[in-house]
Amino acid sequence: MADVAKRLVDRWFTFILALALASPVLAEEPPPHPGPRPMPLPPLAEPAPQPPGVGEGDPWESFNRRMFWFNDKLDDYVLEPAAKGWDFVMPNRVETCVSNFFYNLRFPIDTLNDLLQGKVQYAVTDVGRFFVNTTVGLAGFFDPATSLGLEHHWEDFGQTLGWWGVGTGPYLVLPVLGPSDLRDGGGLIVDTAASITPFFVSSYYLLAARTVDLVNTRAIYADAIQKAKDSSLDYYTFVRNAYLQRRASLVNDQAAATEATQEDLYHPEGD
Amino acid sequence: MTFLALFAQTASTAESPRDLVRKLSDAVIAVLQEKNLSADAKREKIRGIVQDYVDFTTMSRLVLARNWSGLDDSKKAAFTEEFKQHLSVTYGRNVETYNNEKVEIVGDRDEGRGDWTVQTKILRPQGGGDILVDYRLRRIDGEWKVIDLIIERVSLVSNYRSQFQEVMANGGIDKLLQLLREKNAAGQPLKS
Repeated sequence: MADVAKRLVDRWFTFILALALASPVLAEEPPPHPGPRPMPLPPLAEPAPQPPGVGEGDPWESFNRRMFWFNDKLDDYVLEPAAKGWDFVMPNRVETCVSNFFYNLRFPIDTLNDLLQGKVQYAVTDVGRFFVNTTVGLAGFFDPATSLGLEHHWEDFGQTLGWWGVGTGPYLVLPVLGPSDLRDGGGLIVDTAASITPFFVSSYYLLAARTVDLVNTRAIYADAIQKAKDSSLDYYTFVRNAYLQRRASLVNDQAAATEATQEDLYHPEGD
Repeated sequence: MTFLALFAQTASTAESPRDLVRKLSDAVIAVLQEKNLSADAKREKIRGIVQDYVDFTTMSRLVLARNWSGLDDSKKAAFTEEFKQHLSVTYGRNVETYNNEKVEIVGDRDEGRGDWTVQTKILRPQGGGDILVDYRLRRIDGEWKVIDLIIERVSLVSNYRSQFQEVMANGGIDKLLQLLREKNAAGQPLKS
């Protein structure tokens, strides 16, 4: 079983690597930024002509839609039923605890990426959070750090690359993991390497833990996912747009969309 | 008298975007907390409040963007109506899932050209983490109106725009109206 997991990880790695090599997007290294906050670079991908009104290109749409369909079926037949069962036996408070526990284990990833973006204050906060939540928070099942004003910051390597000016590259739907893009998908490899858990547990348990995390997260967001499916006219486009907007905002750190996007969004007719 | 009327008018237009969002949130939460109202009655009340604060015409125009100017007036009106219905149905669902959430205003900023953003946080005492909701307001005919919601960094206007663009690219405005009508009919809360 451990072998299977390892082989899966290997394949996964090869898949991402092949994608990264196949695309010229990541091959071009952006010049390092001297200042603490880089200027946004022009997109590295070749500027595909876009129909008016569409804020996002999707050159891999045909592949993406098929992968999206596959994930959706996987969700319908495996993940959602599992999450429903989980939700049935687990009180909401326990689900929150499980979510806290896994979030706490992200601490090296968050901290590393804080530092790579020069956000020393965030890094200090994240280290503080880890110590408070691991001790007072009983191995991370509780989150007293947030009540103490140590708010969490989700930082990953995709964001770090974005902060240094690397464009997202094409939108990419990953198997099982869902919406991503070339940059963020590649970033996952670095984040996985930065994770502490593999040093303590065998890959078999790691796979089990990842599954629990996934099912638990699916259970927590069940209502939101159902609402999104019910209310959207085109669920694929809904998810793609939401993913790209959210990631762009996370890279910019809270700042609203870039000025060009704002202009297009709120003054589309130049009024 | 004239002086008083003038004064009253200045006072009402001097309402800050923050005050407006505070009033809107308080009004909605007050309805959600009422114990002696049916879900349907709550939805109806919330719809009324939202229509006072949101400018659906501007929102429709922003959502359709370049497609808007190509429509004749009847199509514009039809779209605005269906879109309004769609948002009401979608957000009316929150009536069932309300769980003692509170709204905190965390900041605001001038966006220039008559727009303002008010940042809020929905606090969830039952756990699950806070939700960031930003309101984009525009001064229209002397009054602040909501023209977009940015929920957890995702703008509704942008999100609907790309979905509608996708539909219109394949079937035009008629296809879009048809889909919206179907969704609205299916999503209509059951009347008891």
